[in-house]
Amino acid sequence: MSISIAIPRAAGQNAAKSYSPPRLSDGTPDFRGIWQARTTAYVNVEGHSAQNGIGKAESIIVDPPDGKIPYLPDALKQRGDNYKNREAADPASNCFQAGVPRAVYLPTPFQIFQSPGNLAIVYTDNHAYRIVDPSTIPHDDGIDFFMGDSRGHWEGDTLVVDVTDLGDQTWLDETGNFHSDQLHVIERYTLLGPDTMQYEARLEDPKTFSKPWTIRFLLYRDKEPGARITEDECLEGADGRWHHLSPSDPRAVLHHDYEAELAAAAKNLAGQGKP
Amino acid sequence: MRNWNIPAVAFALVFALAPAVVAQSPQATADNSNSPPIPRLADGHPNLQGLWHNEVGAAALRQAGLGDIHSPGVPLPLPYLPVLDKIREYRLEHDPYHDPEAHCHVPGVPRIIEQPSSIMPFRIIQDEKYVTILFEYVHDLRIIPQDASPHPKNYWAWDGDSRGRWEGDTFVVDVANFNGRSWLDMDANFVDENEHVVERYTLVDPNTIAYSATIEDPTVFTRPWTMHLTLKKNVSKDRIVYYDCHEGERDVDHYTRSEGNAASKHE
Repeated sequence: MSISIAIPRAAGQNAAKSYSPPRLSDGTPDFRGIWQARTTAYVNVEGHSAQNGIGKAESIIVDPPDGKIPYLPDALKQRGDNYKNREAADPASNCFQAGVPRAVYLPTPFQIFQSPGNLAIVYTDNHAYRIVDPSTIPHDDGIDFFMGDSRGHWEGDTLVVDVTDLGDQTWLDETGNFHSDQLHVIERYTLLGPDTMQYEARLEDPKTFSKPWTIRFLLYRDKEPGARITEDECLEGADGRWHHLSPSDPRAVLHHDYEAELAAAAKNLAGQGKP
Repeated sequence: MRNWNIPAVAFALVFALAPAVVAQSPQATADNSNSPPIPRLADGHPNLQGLWHNEVGAAALRQAGLGDIHSPGVPLPLPYLPVLDKIREYRLEHDPYHDPEAHCHVPGVPRIIEQPSSIMPFRIIQDEKYVTILFEYVHDLRIIPQDASPHPKNYWAWDGDSRGRWEGDTFVVDVANFNGRSWLDMDANFVDENEHVVERYTLVDPNTIAYSATIEDPTVFTRPWTMHLTLKKNVSKDRIVYYDCHEGERDVDHYTRSEGNAASKHE
């Protein structure tokens, strides 16, 4: 496959890389399908004890070896504040898009679309998507996006995505682990088999972390017949908070009585002294 | 007849009818030797990929206003059932924030193709199984399988559920399963959960898609009606600039109970 460039694999990756994935007509590995993490890192990337229906989880951080985020002192304090206020302070409670890498380990699936020259990742959560344009196109400058600005290239059969332009309006999990607008993420997607993908991401953010750190976990293909990404839309409720409500049965909330609506409208207008 | 502005009428008729003719005979269009050949994927289907926008034209925008349906062929006012036309008038005059778009919700179909895309483009990615449309506007998206598979049961969404199939060179999309909350424009034209849309995408030359959408909703309109749009490949811009709408919005007071606000002041 002419456009695949063989580059020695970086140290620290596991050895099970002999799998030769199916390919598109241009020779690039075929990552298409619906994928989902089974890790519960969305609660806490550093791992967490068993709680409320969710089992204990190990840290997904593989570097540093202690599985802890190498925060700068002030940032560590900020993480503590975030934790205390997490219910209101988590940007996800505003239905903001999750950001990168948080979107990848949410407990909802995402789908990869691919054709020669095109690659996009569509997430269930908040109908977020990322278009991974080739790294020959420079990043946009001076503008931040919830899902960042993604550029991809191939290292062997690994898709490497460079993500910049991430803002400071996203967190890394529900615990309050966070980053600044200086976050730079380098993701590596590698198929280990027909239905298994390894995800790895290196995060650097000199305003928040003392050194870069790396997460790694597996993604699994959704093989359910007819599986699809469903619409996830937030609606602001009477309590002023956003709730994931779509898809919802219109019969539960819509009670079309147009005659009554008109009568109420007329009464309302009459009360305001309008015709 | 002598009082008619003949050129204007003729122009209007051609403008209104041409896309319908195209949609009905896509093969003839694709074979038209006057047009450059359309690009195709390996599976033989027309290649719809690229960055597109609704070419409504600045003049039409000025005339109609950004918020109105400004598509040739749309019968305005829309053929509402009795009473519903009054509901629309009331909402337009006194309840404009009823518009779900004012709350940053995804617009529904065909509004997502018709309205924001005149100023914000969308990108199509296509393989042999899906036509996926990624919209700049509120990062809305539509995943359209090409296998004419049936709509799901017990599923309701702002954008409904889209199932596509090829009729010759025309990509036909059947859209149902709407949640019944969408407006069609800022003029308070609306649909309910019985909305059913059939869209037709025909690549007439490498940079032009003839688009039509036939909307039927037996509990809102007396008859189906059709809009025709010309979608143009975007040559001035090479990619999506992600657009998010609702950050920090706190608009709950504007919501009626039907929009999910149990404590609506509109009751």
